[in-house]
Amino acid sequence: MPATTTPRGTRRGSPQLRLRVGFLVIAIALSVFGARLVQLQGLDPNSYAQMAAAENLHRVDLPAERGDIVDRNGEPLADSVAGMMLIADPKLTGAHAAELAAFLYKRLDIDYASTLAKLREHKVDGTEVRFEYIARRVPSTIATDIMDEAKSRGFKGLDTERDPVRDYPADDVAANLVGFIGTDEPLAGFERTFDKQLSGKDGSARYEVGGGNRIPLGESTVKEPVDGKPLQTTLDLDLQWYAQRVLQQTVEDSRADSGFAIVMDTRSGGLLAVADGPTYDANDPTASPKADLGSRALQDVYEPGSVEKVLTMSSLIDLGVVSPRTRIVVPGQLRREDRPINDWWQHGTIPLTLAGVIAKSSNIGTVLAADKFKQGQLYTYLQKFGLGQKTDVGVRGETSGLLPAGSTWTHQMQDRIAFGQSVSVNGVQMAAAINTIANGGVRVSPSLIEGSATTDDGVPVGTDHATRKRVVSAKAATQTMRMMERVIDPEVGVAPGAAVAGYRVAGKTGTAQRVGAECGCYDGTDTVSFAGFAPADDPRFTIYVVVQNPRNGGGGGSVAGPAFSKIMSYALRRYAVPPTGTQPSQLPVEW
Amino acid sequence: MSTPAMQVRSRIPRLAEDAIQRARLTVVPRRRTTAGRAPFLALVSMVLLGGVVGLLLFNTSMQQASFATTALEQQSTRLAAREQSLGMDLDRLRNPQRIAGAAVKLGMVQACSPAFLQLGTGEVTGAPCSDAVPLRIHAKAPAKPAVLSPRTKVVRVAAPPASTAAGKSTDDTAGGSAARTTGDGKKKSR
Repeated sequence: MPATTTPRGTRRGSPQLRLRVGFLVIAIALSVFGARLVQLQGLDPNSYAQMAAAENLHRVDLPAERGDIVDRNGEPLADSVAGMMLIADPKLTGAHAAELAAFLYKRLDIDYASTLAKLREHKVDGTEVRFEYIARRVPSTIATDIMDEAKSRGFKGLDTERDPVRDYPADDVAANLVGFIGTDEPLAGFERTFDKQLSGKDGSARYEVGGGNRIPLGESTVKEPVDGKPLQTTLDLDLQWYAQRVLQQTVEDSRADSGFAIVMDTRSGGLLAVADGPTYDANDPTASPKADLGSRALQDVYEPGSVEKVLTMSSLIDLGVVSPRTRIVVPGQLRREDRPINDWWQHGTIPLTLAGVIAKSSNIGTVLAADKFKQGQLYTYLQKFGLGQKTDVGVRGETSGLLPAGSTWTHQMQDRIAFGQSVSVNGVQMAAAINTIANGGVRVSPSLIEGSATTDDGVPVGTDHATRKRVVSAKAATQTMRMMERVIDPEVGVAPGAAVAGYRVAGKTGTAQRVGAECGCYDGTDTVSFAGFAPADDPRFTIYVVVQNPRNGGGGGSVAGPAFSKIMSYALRRYAVPPTGTQPSQLPVEW
Repeated sequence: MSTPAMQVRSRIPRLAEDAIQRARLTVVPRRRTTAGRAPFLALVSMVLLGGVVGLLLFNTSMQQASFATTALEQQSTRLAAREQSLGMDLDRLRNPQRIAGAAVKLGMVQACSPAFLQLGTGEVTGAPCSDAVPLRIHAKAPAKPAVLSPRTKVVRVAAPPASTAAGKSTDDTAGGSAARTTGDGKKKSR
């Protein structure tokens, strides 16, 4: 037995030696593993985790849908559609650039030549271009169809990426208020002012993907997107459209520079239409001059002229110092200190009642009546009517107008302000002031947003924040209304063209000298306007039409009056307001 | 240790020796149970196999559900996009400008002032009529700038004296000289 075991033992060495060698090998192996473990887990665990994740972990943005901007009935003025951008890799498309360009030209409204140039292999600054935009903001249904067809035809190198489309279905309707979106961000109007509310918050999802499908039980985290909230305006899409077309026709026919028309709901103060002209197509804003992109009704100042006489007269009646029958002797010219004041028509000394002063729009009569104001009274009234203060309806860049501070008023200045010169307003401000008379002497602050919304300046606006303040007594408002009715009278008034057959209409014309931008002085051009409301004895709408620099020699009655009549007629018809059936006022205009 | 048993044994009378001998407990040889193993193994294998197959089926169904989810999600996205596109088309059709254009094509006009039909009495309030000045729904084409339509410049040229005309009696020469003069005239105007 020992003879056989000894040779085996000598071949394998002693057990102790073998044991030690074995342990050494195991120790070396374990040390290597240990070191590697420390390296992987201890020194740089994140990069490996990321590499593992990148292998099949997908991360996608879940886009929040931008809120719509709608009118008072929920009809969209701006809406969002899922869209895509078509992009190309010229290195791959270069081989069949001509066919692909022809295909894309047929399917999309794009330029053939420039597309072809983009699809061909080309270099910029010595480096080969691998990315070109072919079309942006393509509705995703169309983009998908194109991609499917391109795939079936064997075109390579075309790809899509998310690119939401913002559509303005009514093109230019309310474009001046709604604004528009640039390539990546909102640039104007409500789109920009209420961007925070409209844009919402994008979400994201992470999940593991294998073979194009989500791996069940794999990592999956979803952060749901928060869609933007819609913005409801007080505008009425159809009325807004009609007002814009009437205004456009008026501006064109009178060869005027510009104009605007405002329709206000007398009771709620909601603006049903704010038409600006010339306007622009919100789907293609760059095609129009920059000056047409804002809202002239809120961003431009101008002197209101004779329309302001309504405010002067109602204040005087409210003070109890005059009545519609107050007799005034109106001379042919009134000299005030060193300046003469004239009327718009030549006349000798005429006996007019206060109603006659309004009906005929006599500056001299107004100045004589305004002499009954004590120092500062007219200023206080005009302030209460809202002049000199922003309306805060939610339009960016609104002007507050220029109502000279009470302390700077001179006697001459009061004379001029009494008939609407030397004081500047914005359109909505003035419409709200006239609406005060329509609303029985209570000023309702105008609003453009239904409910409540916060502007990017942090100002809450909307019908929820509308305020009501009594400016003149109900009696003074009624008497002023009765005087304003005489303006429409075909016999005694200056604006029979503003009448709406069958209805009692109260209004006032305005023809004001206009301050030129260059000289800063009255440059011989005019602002003509008409403000009024109907039905006069139970008003529903206040409409204010202003036309800047008409070149056909027309005044407030002949240019703005008919536009007023058309829009008012449409509004009454649309909202089914029946005539009240009462007789219009027959206040005497002379004595 | 076994004291109680021995006590019992000692107390038992000797005559019952045989019976005791017969009744003495003996170690029973352990019975070998060979039958139980196979069913148990089968059961365990069945459970294992069932588990594995079940897991496989479960996983497969999960995977299938995942395929379905992906497909349905894609379909949902596609349909949502389609719905939005159709909504956009609808909004475009609802554009008041388009409706007005269609109405004008049908020969419709704006009313001059509202008129009402009282449904109860059949009485008509107001006088229905069409607007005297029709509403223009399209903007006027912008006026052509004066630069683009210059006035026709007429240059009067004195007839060539009869003596020169006599020398060269062809129409061509006269035409050529006239053309030259017109050219000069144009140059001056610039």
